[in-house]
Amino acid sequence: MQISHTRIFQLQRLSAIGLVIFLTTHMVVAHYPPGHLDFSRVIERMAYPLWKGIDILLLASALVHAVTGMYMVITDVEKVGRYRQVLGWASIILFTVAFIYGTITILAFRLPAETVNLIP
Amino acid sequence: MATNGTTRTVTIRLQRFNPDVDKKPVMKEYTLEITSDTTILDALEQIKATQDGSLTFRRSCRHAICGSCAMNVNGRNTLVCNQRVNAHLDRKGAVTVRPLPYLPIIKDMVVDRTSFWEQYQRVKPWLVPPDDVPEKEFRMTPEEVAALNDAEKCIMCGACYSACTVTAVNKRYIGPHALLKASLRVLDPRDTITNERLIEISGNDGVFRCHTIFNCIDACPKKLNPTQAIETLRKLAQKREAFVAARKERQKSL
Repeated sequence: MQISHTRIFQLQRLSAIGLVIFLTTHMVVAHYPPGHLDFSRVIERMAYPLWKGIDILLLASALVHAVTGMYMVITDVEKVGRYRQVLGWASIILFTVAFIYGTITILAFRLPAETVNLIP
Repeated sequence: MATNGTTRTVTIRLQRFNPDVDKKPVMKEYTLEITSDTTILDALEQIKATQDGSLTFRRSCRHAICGSCAMNVNGRNTLVCNQRVNAHLDRKGAVTVRPLPYLPIIKDMVVDRTSFWEQYQRVKPWLVPPDDVPEKEFRMTPEEVAALNDAEKCIMCGACYSACTVTAVNKRYIGPHALLKASLRVLDPRDTITNERLIEISGNDGVFRCHTIFNCIDACPKKLNPTQAIETLRKLAQKREAFVAARKERQKSL
């Protein structure tokens, strides 16, 4: 698998924009929310499909940024150049596995059955 | 050379390497008297003339225009002919001079620049004008000249190439010097092989390898900006077809 460097560059820049937006949102909401922070608030927030969507987009942005960055840095080394195709496939597999695993984890957040009806 | 008359004793620490004798480079110290106007190149000449005739280094014009004497002074690439020793002394009154890093050493301060010139040739640094050369001169607008960003002032000293961490691990990377020159040709409205150039510089070893570390800017003795040139080429490579079409239109009015 050999994607053109132009595309990799564009993917990395686009994912960087995604990171700025979604990571900022994530930091404000998940780590520095107004008031106290406990698991019940986290699970309440994560019950909303919108927040799940935002977290999945954050996951996708982080993975694309990391995988493309890693691919570019590793293939910088001249001797590794001959393995570009293998590394390309490895990057795609790594992205796919990590994305599926992360998405399943995000989707697993559900409110306890007795509190579902309390959500407006 | 005009001096103010006062002299001081300094230590010049040089990396020495003779492939016939040494297995690896060694540091040697030389003590000499300098004035406030003594350049590092003057100091090297003085060492060669009075202390060790085997010291080897490249130099030519002594006016920072030939690019021969690029070396690494106190960890930073620069031309040694226009740098005064006084300006680079550390607290112990010493200056450390090494050859340009990441390039194979031939002897002492002389490095093998083969990869540097190979990459330079790769971007076809010459102008390829239209076949129908006009009777009068080609006309460029002031904006088009300004966009070149003084790239024509590059003296090919190799300071940027040797400071680049990507060239350190990958000699197939085109390098900041050649990309700067490529930008000069790509932005020149007279050039007719823009498409070919942009394809070459956007390949595996081209502009997208640059990590924007800015070492090339720090190293350039002419205060040029290869990173900006690379950024410009990146943008143009991404809209290559539109740019090439616009170039053809522009050439009709040259």
